[in-house]
Amino acid sequence: MTTADAPMLPVPVVDRDTQPFWSGCDEQRLFVQRCSGCHRWIWQPMPICPTCHAVDPVWTEVSGDGVVASWTVIRPPVLAGHAGRTPFVILLIQLDEGVRLLGYLVDDAGEWSTTDGTAENISMGARAALRWHRQDGRWLPSWTLPPRL
Amino acid sequence: MSGGNRQATVVGLHALPFSKNIGMTERNAGARAILGALDDAGLGAADVDGMFRFGWETTTELEMGRIVGVGNLRAFGEVGFGGGAGAPVVAMASTAIEQGVADVVVLWRARNRGSGGRPWVSQLHAEGQDQFERPYGLVRPVDGMAMHVRYWMHHYGWGPEVFGRVAINNRDHARNNPMALMQKPMTMDDYLESRMIADPLRLFDCCLETDGAMAMVLTTAERARDLPIVPAYVTGHGMGSGPEGYAMTFYYGPEMGVTPARYVAPTLWKNTGLQAADMDVVQIYDAFTPQIPISFQEYGFCPDGEAADYMADGANPPYNTSGGGLSEAYVHGFNLLLEGVRQVRGTSSNQVADVQHSLVTSGNVVPTGAVVFSKDPS
Repeated sequence: MTTADAPMLPVPVVDRDTQPFWSGCDEQRLFVQRCSGCHRWIWQPMPICPTCHAVDPVWTEVSGDGVVASWTVIRPPVLAGHAGRTPFVILLIQLDEGVRLLGYLVDDAGEWSTTDGTAENISMGARAALRWHRQDGRWLPSWTLPPRL
Repeated sequence: MSGGNRQATVVGLHALPFSKNIGMTERNAGARAILGALDDAGLGAADVDGMFRFGWETTTELEMGRIVGVGNLRAFGEVGFGGGAGAPVVAMASTAIEQGVADVVVLWRARNRGSGGRPWVSQLHAEGQDQFERPYGLVRPVDGMAMHVRYWMHHYGWGPEVFGRVAINNRDHARNNPMALMQKPMTMDDYLESRMIADPLRLFDCCLETDGAMAMVLTTAERARDLPIVPAYVTGHGMGSGPEGYAMTFYYGPEMGVTPARYVAPTLWKNTGLQAADMDVVQIYDAFTPQIPISFQEYGFCPDGEAADYMADGANPPYNTSGGGLSEAYVHGFNLLLEGVRQVRGTSSNQVADVQHSLVTSGNVVPTGAVVFSKDPS
């Protein structure tokens, strides 16, 4: 579909606190907040560090490398925009920085994978690499599972 | 404040028949449930001076009070976060009664979730926490839950049979309960063969989608003495959210796999002066089967990591004796509150002998609470 079409899937409603994240996504760069006071990583975005109360935690670019912390397989097409594309996997990825983000399981090029994770040999703790998946005119961080040697 | 023992006491219960389509508005059903519970208590709308609601309830205390004819509310408010609100609204009512703010408090839940459709299907704008979740299709409660359950299975070594035992326990209880919607027997094979909804959760791991309306009336122990019912005393309660909380998806921060119930437990047991071993029967929030074993652990019925063996050995107290959300009805756990009180009254369809203390917990993957109803005042 093109960006001119009406969205088929839920669209992020960006606000001032989350704009830097989505602006990074526009350039296919992943930013996560890190507190300038206590240096902890923060996800989801917060205007103030919940640990030390330093304001405006610093948006910091990360590699996106991490491991599978959990996952689920969507089988019935719940949303109209996923019709004909099931099953697919939603991943919970623990970045090497420690925070956990959601994303699709995609192929090495970031393209859609109709899979239940078997072909990718998905498992808890498996290494995952960041890829970018295009949806409704936006780049969404997603992950691929490189073959294990 | 009037004199005498002001310990909060449940004196009225009512449920309309559960169904997939109740054939009336939540407003209509809620008002009928409230009038039924007042009738059960031998009280009238003119006696009511407090009402507390679930945040997700579409009717309000103002609207319900207007329809049933409440003259003046001296205490009212709401608790948010969906199915976590059941025990917390009992806590609100109890606190209001015991502080002398109100004398007769009504709680209710009317929800047409069977006929009313699935709200997440058509929501195409994702605000706040949703903007990092819903664009990927993580939209149903079962999707958010599945991430926790995969982790628990990995971390605790739980296989699907741990959850199958829960589904069968609840179904067996439902089959003795004429109110329960699910009456067909279930075997472990039935459970294991049910289709995947959001791996690793199967159809029979999931609660029902129900139209239901229920209400509960509380007053002081002193006033309860004059009413034509068996009182159920509120011995204590607790609430908790945990740190860096999210509704359903609290897996972004430092703690993985720990639910808000872990944070309720110390408050609950301190407030009641009791411990898990004192509970004769329990109703544990069961939108999904894995909430039962994790709750047995987090409320201290068994050590962390031992729920599977604890339940396989039958060391647990009887649980979800009405069939619960899985097999009686799913109305955000309000039916669990009613069943917890019935066990104290001695009127359950799966009555446990000599119940002194009856625990009810609310949805543990959102900010939540738990309450103990008892046969004797404390």
